[in-house]
Amino acid sequence: MPDPISQIIQLVTSTYFLEIVVFPGLISIAILGALFTWFERKLTARVQLRIGPLYSSPVGGILQGFADIIKLLFKELIIPEGADRFFFIMSPVTALIIGAALLGLIPFAPGIQIANVEVGLPAFLAIVTLSPTLVLLAGWSANSKFPFIGGLRALFQQTAYEIPLWLSALGVVMITGTLSLTAIVQYQQNNGWLIIPQALGAILFIVTSTAEMERLPFDLPEAESEIMMGWQAEYPGPLFMLVQGPAFIKLYAFAALFSTLYLGGYLGPAIIPPIVWFFGKTIVIIVAIMLFRSTFPRVRLDQLLHQGWTTLLTLSIVNIVIAYFVVVGVPVI
Amino acid sequence: MVSQGIPEETGYIIFLFASTLALVITLRLVISPRDPKPTPEKKAPFESGQIATGPGRTRFIIQYYPYLLMFVVYDVIAMFLFAWALDLRALGASGTIPVLTFMVVALVPLAYALHLAGQRENW
Repeated sequence: MPDPISQIIQLVTSTYFLEIVVFPGLISIAILGALFTWFERKLTARVQLRIGPLYSSPVGGILQGFADIIKLLFKELIIPEGADRFFFIMSPVTALIIGAALLGLIPFAPGIQIANVEVGLPAFLAIVTLSPTLVLLAGWSANSKFPFIGGLRALFQQTAYEIPLWLSALGVVMITGTLSLTAIVQYQQNNGWLIIPQALGAILFIVTSTAEMERLPFDLPEAESEIMMGWQAEYPGPLFMLVQGPAFIKLYAFAALFSTLYLGGYLGPAIIPPIVWFFGKTIVIIVAIMLFRSTFPRVRLDQLLHQGWTTLLTLSIVNIVIAYFVVVGVPVI
Repeated sequence: MVSQGIPEETGYIIFLFASTLALVITLRLVISPRDPKPTPEKKAPFESGQIATGPGRTRFIIQYYPYLLMFVVYDVIAMFLFAWALDLRALGASGTIPVLTFMVVALVPLAYALHLAGQRENW
């Protein structure tokens, strides 16, 4: 019988454990989340001709995200009067688990993937569907008016973008004939990047996923200037950190999914290792989505609902027709 | 790869479990510091600096309710297209007529529902 200590050492040093805990798992998610916070503030500052975070390190305040985490962790936990404590605390925690679960499905490089499930694409979209429900739950549980309005807005916003999001991903499924993210990347290895036949689908996907991430111009549930951070208004320091975390993890996960679906994932000339290709593409998408924030004004809820059910839905059906003709071929009459 | 389905899924469950555990430990550390006697002002809900009035979970006018009803129906209907899309290469053009019928049957009521949803005075 092997002694327990050597068993533990064997478990901790196994590749799979390292994948879960270090990369692409939890520790790298936390570090990248903090770095993206800094990066977004710096980028937005540059766009608006400001300087942004400056003092937290010799290099342009790059440690600001970590400093913010430490600051928020040691703040006092105040739960408002009459709040439903269980749901108030559990909804940001569950949102963080959902964010981590999304990244477990992404193929980062050949063999570096936590869960190579056969239904990766619908699993990703189905897991992400849970988050507006959690926003509603968080807003309801706070027993305050602004969070509740924010939660209801999240619910209505979901009806506008959810179906176009699934239908824009449907084009990829039609062309590749598979639901597995690894197989989608392998298809692109033989047939070229899917952004070429699916350009419309890619644009639709990035628009609807920006709405899914509740980022500007679709940040209605947390609109600072309208409803005071919306559903996040009542969250005290430590829980506010848990609320902000999933936003950046979802940004990372959606950018990774976009580069997997449309930009060939880790594929690229072999001079540069696949993981670098993957992160290069992902960071380009992240920068694009961050620039939306400093470019577009916020839409109104009725505009979003109407456009989501007319323009976005029509364009996603047009995209399905394009994918159909790519697969079947244009009929000769 | 795909043939080794079971270990991957077990690993995914382990991944979820590990992330939950890490979070519970974090929360345990976080929740510990507490104010033993919070004042009523500290625990009052935020209402733009005013004294909060009335219950927090009030009723709101939901003028976009028809969109919720449409979502409940059409989110499920859209999923049926995935079954067709997966087999599109095998089916080829032979699946076109049923899918076209399906889309027309689904989208004509949608247009009428959108027309009704636009009439705010009905709700």
